[in-house]
Amino acid sequence: MEIDKRIVLDKVFTAIIVMLAILALTPLIWIVSSVVINGVKAIVKAGIDILFKPPTSPLSQSLGGVGPALLGTLILMALTTAIGMPIAFFTAVLATEYPHTILAKAVNIVIRTLLEIPTVLIGMFVYSLVVVPMGRFSAIAGAIALAIVLLPYTYTYIESALSSIPREYREAAFSIGLTRIRALMKVFVGIARRGILAGMLIGLAKACGETAPLLFTIGGSTRVYFTGIDQPIDAIPLLIYRYALTPYENYHALSWAAALILISIYLPIFVIAKVLIREVEM
Amino acid sequence: MSRMSREDRMLFYSLLPFASIVIAIFITLFISLVENSIPVLIREGINFIVSSEWRAVEQDPKSEFYGILSPLIGTLITSIIALVIALPLSISLALFMLEYAPNSIRFVLSNLIEVMAGLPTVIYGLWGLFILAPLLRDYVMYPLYRYLWLIPLFSAEPVTPTTLFTASVVLAIMIVPFMTRLIVEAYRAIPVKYKEAALALGFTKLEYCKTMLSLARPAIIAAALLGWGRAAGETVAVCMTIGNSFSLTLSLFKPGYTISSLIANQFPNAEFYHYMYSALYGAAFILLLIGLVVNSIAMILLVRWRELIHGDR
Repeated sequence: MEIDKRIVLDKVFTAIIVMLAILALTPLIWIVSSVVINGVKAIVKAGIDILFKPPTSPLSQSLGGVGPALLGTLILMALTTAIGMPIAFFTAVLATEYPHTILAKAVNIVIRTLLEIPTVLIGMFVYSLVVVPMGRFSAIAGAIALAIVLLPYTYTYIESALSSIPREYREAAFSIGLTRIRALMKVFVGIARRGILAGMLIGLAKACGETAPLLFTIGGSTRVYFTGIDQPIDAIPLLIYRYALTPYENYHALSWAAALILISIYLPIFVIAKVLIREVEM
Repeated sequence: MSRMSREDRMLFYSLLPFASIVIAIFITLFISLVENSIPVLIREGINFIVSSEWRAVEQDPKSEFYGILSPLIGTLITSIIALVIALPLSISLALFMLEYAPNSIRFVLSNLIEVMAGLPTVIYGLWGLFILAPLLRDYVMYPLYRYLWLIPLFSAEPVTPTTLFTASVVLAIMIVPFMTRLIVEAYRAIPVKYKEAALALGFTKLEYCKTMLSLARPAIIAAALLGWGRAAGETVAVCMTIGNSFSLTLSLFKPGYTISSLIANQFPNAEFYHYMYSALYGAAFILLLIGLVVNSIAMILLVRWRELIHGDR
C-alpha cells in the first residue's frame, strides 16, 4: 500500500509539473508568434517602404514606414558602442589586472548596483545631466543613457572572460619576460576574445531594445530623419511604445512591424553572443 | 602601488580614467537623486509617502502637493501578484526542463528561455496591451467580478482592459524566463553527491525533486527576490498595460500607477510645476532604495548558500 501511494503521488506531481510548465511556456510562444504574425502582416501591407519611409498620417490608407526610427536605433547603437564599450573594456581590464586596488573593489560594487537600477532612473539622470544643460533632447543624450545601461552587462562578461584565463597562461606570459601591457595585448585579450566579444554583443542586444532610458533623452519625432548627434532622434522601441498607445489602427500595425524589426535586430546579436560563450565553455 | 614596476604603474594610470568614469557616473547619479529629492521631502515630510493626494497646480507652487502612496502601493501590489503567479510557474518550468524533458526539447527550451529573458520589455507590453488585456478582461476579470465581487480585490467592474491586474499578469509572464534561468542555475550548482545520494535511496521523482528544491531553497528565494525587483522596476511594459491613473483602491480591476509608470507619464510635464520634478525624483529615490535593499538580501542569500552547499567539499 505504501508503495502504491508513493507512485500515485509521483504521477500527480508529474502531471502538475507538466501542466504548469506548459502554462508558463504558452505566453512566451504566444508572444513570439503574435509579433511574427502581426508584424509580417503589416510589413506585407507596407512593402519595402517599411524600412525607409516615415509613417503616414493617422487615418491614411497606407502605412508608410518606420524609417526614421530604424535609422535612429542604428545610430544610437553605434554611438552607444563608441561610448560604452571602451569604458566597459578598460574598466574590466583594470579590475582583473589590479584586483587588490580599492578602485577595483569599488568598481565591482558599483557595477553590481548599476545592474539593478531601474532603467527609467537612468533616463531621468541623463535628462538632468545632459538634456537640461544642452537645452534639447539629442541622440548623444540617448546614447549616454544606453551606454550606462550597457555598461554593467558588458563589464560583467568581459571581467569574467579575463579572469577565467588559466593561471598557467598568465604565469607563462610573465615568465617569458612580457610586461603586463604586452601580455595583456598579445596573450590575455587573445585568449579571452570570444568572451569579450560576447560581452559586447550582450550589452548591445540589451541596449537596442531599451525604451525607458530613451523616454526623456532622445525626444525624437517619428518623421524626422537623423540631423546630427546633438539633435533629437527617434528609436524603434520608443516608436512601438508611443504608437501602441495611440488610438489609430495603422499606427498599431506599424508598432507590430517595428516589434518584428526590433526582434530581428536583437535576436541575431543575442544568438551570436550565446554561441560564442557556449564554445568557450566547451 | 609602490611595489609595482614602472610599466605596471603606467598601465594602471592609463586605465584609471575609465574606471573613474564608472565611479563618477555612479556618484553623480546618487547625488542627483538625493539632491533633487530633498525639496519635496523637506516640504512634505512623511506625507510624501503616506498621502495619496496628487495636486499639480500651475503658477501656484503653494498649493502643489504630491503624495505617492497610490503609485507606491501600485508598485507593491503589481509586483507581488506577479511574483505569486510567476514563482510556481518558474519552479515547474525549471523542474520540467531539468528532470522531465528529453535532451532535444531541453536544448530548445533553454534557448527559448534565454532569449525571452532578454527580450525587449516593450514587446511584452505590446503583446499585453493588444492580445492579453482584452482576453483577460472578458474571460478572467469579468467572471471574477460577477461572481466574487464581494471580495474587495475583485469589487470594481473592469471597464477598461488595462488595469493593475493586467499589468501584474504581464509582469508575471515577463519575469518567468528570468527566474527560471536563475532557478535552473541554482539547481545545477547542487553538488552531484547529493543527487546521487537521493537517487541511491530509491526516491521517486517527487521525493527527489522535493529534496533538491529544499536544498536549493535559499537560492530559489533569492531568485524570487530578484524577479520581484525586476517587476517592481519595470517601466514600459507596465505603462502600456496598467491604464495610468491615480486611484487608491484595493480593487485590482481599476487602472492605476506604479512608481516607474508615474515617472514615465509625469516627468515630461514636470517642468511646468514647481515641485513635481522633485516629487518624481523623490519617488525614484524611494523605488531605488526598496530595490537595493531587496537585491542586497538576495545577493547575501546567494553568497551564503553557495558557501553552504560547496563548503564541505
